[in-house]
Amino acid sequence: MVERAMTCREALNLLPLFFDGELDANQMRAVALHSTRCGGCEDQLRRMERVQEVISAQVSGAVDEVDFSTLWRGIDERLGTVHVSWWTRARAWWGERERSWVITGPAFAAAAAVALLGFLLWTRTPPTTQPDASQVANVDIESLDSDVDAVTVLNDNETRTTVIWVSDDTPAGGDTP
Amino acid sequence: MNGMSGVALSAFVTVLGLQYVALAAEGSPEVTSSPAANAVEVRIGAVLASNSSQEFDARLAVMHRQFNVLFPYTSYRLVKEEHQRVPWGGKVGFDIPGGRYVMVIPREFKNDRVYMKVMVIEGSRPIIDTSVSLRDHATFLVGGPREHEGVLILSIGADTLH
Repeated sequence: MVERAMTCREALNLLPLFFDGELDANQMRAVALHSTRCGGCEDQLRRMERVQEVISAQVSGAVDEVDFSTLWRGIDERLGTVHVSWWTRARAWWGERERSWVITGPAFAAAAAVALLGFLLWTRTPPTTQPDASQVANVDIESLDSDVDAVTVLNDNETRTTVIWVSDDTPAGGDTP
Repeated sequence: MNGMSGVALSAFVTVLGLQYVALAAEGSPEVTSSPAANAVEVRIGAVLASNSSQEFDARLAVMHRQFNVLFPYTSYRLVKEEHQRVPWGGKVGFDIPGGRYVMVIPREFKNDRVYMKVMVIEGSRPIIDTSVSLRDHATFLVGGPREHEGVLILSIGADTLH
């Protein structure tokens, strides 16, 4: 199936979304392919990149100038300490407990639910001592699409290397390592 | 009776909420506090691998073991090496042998990993269109496109710039 080439008008409308990474895979591919062949759209994309760089530099510079080193000391100085006797605290606790079963009941229920959930999660996770491929390999592949006949992904534990191998005009396995 | 109904309802809602939080946590990686990376440098190396000789390009010495273990070729020659700095969300392109083109869009730096989109374009079609995450300074390989009497192996890596 031959895809219709994107026009400049369509591409320019989508460039801001492309730049923000908000296009779906097909649209992103179409815009990318168009911009590799259209100087005007490529220039527009470069301009957007430059604007972002300038804004990013400005914001980073402004944040760097803020002195946070005395922030907590300032807060700490404004905090006071209130001394309450143990008898007063005990009476307050007991009185609150008597009056508010409606509050403490759900709290106990929540604690029980947390314990139950923890148990369920613990029993769902099988123990293992073997590192999985994502720990061994340096690379995780989140999505992969291709127009060629066959694509093979190899995560080699020995060399800790990830290889994406494309086989286009050869029989399956012909040149695959 | 009403109190107990309230307790049961609270417990039910709490369990549902916690399960939702747990499932959400499973689906999204935890963000760790990494120093902010202002930009990223994308590295591309194009290696011509073949069985036409026994030549091993000295510039590929650090990858000697990987190539010997992973691929069945006897000759490896670096035909292009390039690196470009790019802001997050920006696009960087590399021309590679055979009229092909590699486009990389670094998305973000999270959990000490670089998330980026990589496209290898041949003619008007993408032979690879992938989204990957890799550790800072790591490299992965894309191989297989035919070139002269051998195949092209691309090494693609990213280094954050602070």
